[in-house]
Amino acid sequence: MNSDRFDLGGGEPIITLRDVAKSYWREALEIPVLQGIDLEIPAGAYVALMGPSGSGKTTLLNLIAGIDRPTGGSLEVCGHELNGLDDDQLASWRNLHVGFIFQNYNLVPVLNAFENVELPLLLTGAGRGERRDRVEQALALVNLTDRMRNYPRQLSGGQEQRVAVARAIVTDPDLLVADEPTGALDAKNAEEVLALMERLNAELGKTIVMVTHDPKAAHHARHQIHLEKGVLDRTVEVNR
Amino acid sequence: MRWLALIWKSLMRSKRRTLLIVGSLVLSVFTVAVLQSLLTTLDTITNNPNSGSRIVVRHKAGLTQVLPRSYEAYLRQQPEVETVCAVQWFGGYYQDPRDFFANFASDETTLFQMFREEFGYNQLSEAQIKEFLRDGTGCIVGDSLAKKHGWKVGDTIPLTGTIFPINPRLTIRLIFKSPKLSDENGLHFHYKLLEEGFPAMKGRCGSFWVRVRRIEDIPRLVERVDRHFANSAYETLSETENAFNLSFVKMLGNIGAIIQGITLAVVVAILIVTGNTMATAIRERTTEIAVFRAMGFSSARVLVLLLVEGALLVGTGALLGVLLAHGAAGGVRASVGAVMPFFADFAILPPTVAQCMGGALAVGLLATFMPAYAATRKPITEGLKAVG
Repeated sequence: MNSDRFDLGGGEPIITLRDVAKSYWREALEIPVLQGIDLEIPAGAYVALMGPSGSGKTTLLNLIAGIDRPTGGSLEVCGHELNGLDDDQLASWRNLHVGFIFQNYNLVPVLNAFENVELPLLLTGAGRGERRDRVEQALALVNLTDRMRNYPRQLSGGQEQRVAVARAIVTDPDLLVADEPTGALDAKNAEEVLALMERLNAELGKTIVMVTHDPKAAHHARHQIHLEKGVLDRTVEVNR
Repeated sequence: MRWLALIWKSLMRSKRRTLLIVGSLVLSVFTVAVLQSLLTTLDTITNNPNSGSRIVVRHKAGLTQVLPRSYEAYLRQQPEVETVCAVQWFGGYYQDPRDFFANFASDETTLFQMFREEFGYNQLSEAQIKEFLRDGTGCIVGDSLAKKHGWKVGDTIPLTGTIFPINPRLTIRLIFKSPKLSDENGLHFHYKLLEEGFPAMKGRCGSFWVRVRRIEDIPRLVERVDRHFANSAYETLSETENAFNLSFVKMLGNIGAIIQGITLAVVVAILIVTGNTMATAIRERTTEIAVFRAMGFSSARVLVLLLVEGALLVGTGALLGVLLAHGAAGGVRASVGAVMPFFADFAILPPTVAQCMGGALAVGLLATFMPAYAATRKPITEGLKAVG
């Protein structure tokens, strides 16, 4: 077990993990994926989780985002102890605090860009006018105002991912989690999306945790956390 | 975007699949609605409230045998009896042998008392009744039958006999309106006309219809009448009018069991087809469901969205099926109703509509619930890994 706490310094932590462990069970066989994770990430950080396949980086991201539960330890994210929340509370918490960006964009094919971005707002109780304003602002931020009535099939990969980014930020969450956000994009589109995420971090102060195996993508983050066989290996501050 | 718009767009994700499932539901619900309405119609024949106080006395050997008219006197003497009417099925046709309707030679003196509910006696013109009673070739016809042929009071109706070798020319003296359309498809003429035209029927009759004063007396009366004529040359079979009608329905076999069997098969088919369609549709959206839940949609909310989607799909199919059956019922009334009088009342009644809609929705919800519940219980991380 790794007893050293990884602290990225900076301000108040928005993410605090204490001795977090995660195992999967295949019949009677326990497969440990993460062990003894102690980590503090300050608000406003931009972190890249790196490591070889099977090192547990996506599992760690899922735990931080509240879509998976640890088998040991505790997580406090955005001021909430996640272990203490039931499934419905956790769903509400995600809606309020977390924006997701996936490798394959995962837009709903039967909804246009506007409607895709509007989806998380349906849960917030915001009125129609307020929803419209916030969706338009989010789409303007990703520079897709002119594409808001287009369906995913009518957009390029880069545009789809920018719509996904707009959907992730439309509820104004504290934390953005991104799992290989440029994995399905060509170099030019990848660069655009990374630049956009950098802006969200620098200008809007969003905390971003991104899983990537791409060193170029990781270079856009302020810190890199390397995992090795389910334990935190080292952190690297990125000099830009 | 509103919730219903989200559901509708999800439903129209694969238009062809949606149309095919709705089409299969329309046909299934149409079949069930028509078959159940057939049962309801048959049920009204054998459970006619107007028939409760009447019994039918006929030859024990069957409807083709006749009874002596003298039996009428014995029947009248029974203290429970209010009136007796001799009725003989004539089986004639007007112009075209295929143009069938019910026509009877009936004892005109007690006819109105016997069938006062069916004839709407209180609404009848006294002058017209008198005219009918006065004219030995007079007849009375139901409004529906008269309208079908464009008949009016005073018209002459030539009937061609198929059972008896006589062709009476009848004059319409009265047109009656009934609470039930099926009762308006009959014609009655004077019994004497049959006796005069075919002397072999003089003093004989196919059946006696007996109206009793109190329904409770029927079992005792039936038993006494049949016992009285037992071991005679003309033994009787007495039964309530509903039981008499039931004997015709029984000629169709155990139609109730057949219809319920078909209905059950259709319901199971809907369950399988809808279940399979929804399972496929939900499986294709495994990743999407996981994304919804990651964004903050609770499992219960996603489950409700999917159930409403299933209910909307099945409800649309069921509603169209019921509407189609409603249209078809009109056709049945107009066509079959003219040949088989009780089909003149054939309709898709509100209880059948409720039964079809409720049944289809229940089956649809059940069929959707199973795959939807499984999808919303699946860990989000597994759903995100699925190939969408």
